[in-house]
Amino acid sequence: MNRALVLLAAIAVVLAAVLLPLWIGPFYTRVIQLFFFSAGLAVAWNLLGGFAGYWSFGHTVFIGMGAFSAAHIVTRLGPFGDGPLSMVLPILLSGLICGLFAAIIAYPILRLRGIYFAIAMLGVSQVVGELVNNLSWFQGGVGVFLQTPLPAGTAPEDFFYYLFGALLLASILIAVAVRKSRFGYALLSIREDEDTAMMLGVATERYKIMAFVLSAVLVGTLGAVYGYSVGYFTTYTVFRLDFSLNMIVFCLIGGIGTLAGPVIGTAIMLFITQVLLSRFLDIHLLITGAIVVAIILLMPGGIIGALRSWRRPAAGGGAAATETGS
Amino acid sequence: MSDILLSGRSVTKSFRGLTAIRDVDFDIPAGAIFGLIGPNGAGKSTLFNLITGYYALTGGEIRFKGEDLSPLPTYRRNQAGIARAFQISKPFPALSVRENVRVGAMFGRPGARAAEDVVDQALAIAGLEELADRTAEGLTVGSLRKLEVARAYATRPSLLLADEPCAGLNPAETEEMVGCLRKVRDLGTTVWLVEHDMKAVTSVCDRIVVIDAGQKIAEGTPQQVVANPKVIAAYLGEPLEDKAG
Repeated sequence: MNRALVLLAAIAVVLAAVLLPLWIGPFYTRVIQLFFFSAGLAVAWNLLGGFAGYWSFGHTVFIGMGAFSAAHIVTRLGPFGDGPLSMVLPILLSGLICGLFAAIIAYPILRLRGIYFAIAMLGVSQVVGELVNNLSWFQGGVGVFLQTPLPAGTAPEDFFYYLFGALLLASILIAVAVRKSRFGYALLSIREDEDTAMMLGVATERYKIMAFVLSAVLVGTLGAVYGYSVGYFTTYTVFRLDFSLNMIVFCLIGGIGTLAGPVIGTAIMLFITQVLLSRFLDIHLLITGAIVVAIILLMPGGIIGALRSWRRPAAGGGAAATETGS
Repeated sequence: MSDILLSGRSVTKSFRGLTAIRDVDFDIPAGAIFGLIGPNGAGKSTLFNLITGYYALTGGEIRFKGEDLSPLPTYRRNQAGIARAFQISKPFPALSVRENVRVGAMFGRPGARAAEDVVDQALAIAGLEELADRTAEGLTVGSLRKLEVARAYATRPSLLLADEPCAGLNPAETEEMVGCLRKVRDLGTTVWLVEHDMKAVTSVCDRIVVIDAGQKIAEGTPQQVVANPKVIAAYLGEPLEDKAG
């Protein structure tokens, strides 16, 4: 692939994204803001699920933990000055708290492979969600406020459009850096065959933990910003099974383990659900489900996998996008 | 030549009472192609699993370059210089042949950086240059076996444990594989080879260890081993007159 062309296209896309809110109305600004948020989550999930083959079914735990951390940091320790810059510290700290939590549970939980890890993460997200809901200190049941110090004259949808856009860009750049590095090769070898990877000198334990923590920090950061964007939330606003499932589905649709897959998958699914089906609210989940099943049946490697096998059918096909969990 | 690279003393492994390896001693000198033979279920793969750290020893000790291996996890043993090519090929199926080998080259030594010349060299030794950009998924059995050896060699080991690299290969491919192992040895890597193809073993090995039912029953040059009555008994059963007497 032509490197300069890709770079140029990327710059054009970023530039277009920066200018876009000037033309589109608040509704589409919000749709794209949701796309930035969801694609960021999918990219972060893909670091662990796609590269290392460890499918988490409970990544929403980091969204919830990020959002509640930010709220408690601001109300109990804040404020940290005024204006939008006062958000920086709570957001970063929340991401770090999620990373720390991931590092603590990583050792036992990453010994589980395949479906056992997936279910264990589902359990972790349920347990943490229930704790936040039922321990009064967390105030998950009554809800917490997290006000955004908007810059004067800025509409909230525009502000969060740019904030989530910047986070998505950062997530993509991190994913690219990981994929091209030695770390990335370690994760791929773990996904492909963990025992063999060990036999080839890969410190599998360490790399798995690194991927898990990195993924948690990114999702936690996005969760904290999401908390700001909704302003008031309870446990079930942020600890949501559908968040966990969306990350997986978006990656599946686009192509798990690929760089562009999570972003493309998110774009397609959100276009279908938010734009095409926005007038059929009563049946939109039904149609969405059917589309997901159809895409997975017809293109097991996702969109990217299908494109690859179409471009070079003789060379082993879209195998670069695997669909297996362990 | 007489430096001992790998040695085992009273190496023992039990699985809940079933003793798979019992009191096996061995000394593998640097620079040799050593053979390990024995009937099915004799414990050959178990022995390799003990050396690579996939299983923990029940008793005895294994020393590599004079150092006790037991505290080292598998990946550190590889970084110390022990590589293994599997009996059942275990490629990274979604990666290309080159990427498979690159993983070996990147991680085989502590702090190793991507060394593309090592990758190229390993591909060349195994004769896989032309398949470098293919995904491992679609390879033939013969090419998969070569990939096992190339990937293991790319970790730049001082000892290569080759577990039945010729299994399932036709005579021409076996010949190629034997040549490939010779090249590996000539480049300074000691080879310990498990193989059933007696022609391949006797033609390539300097010395052979024979185990049966978890115990070492013989060791020597190929000629000595093949003529050893215990070895013949292990493979073909005891002669009838012995049982009668």
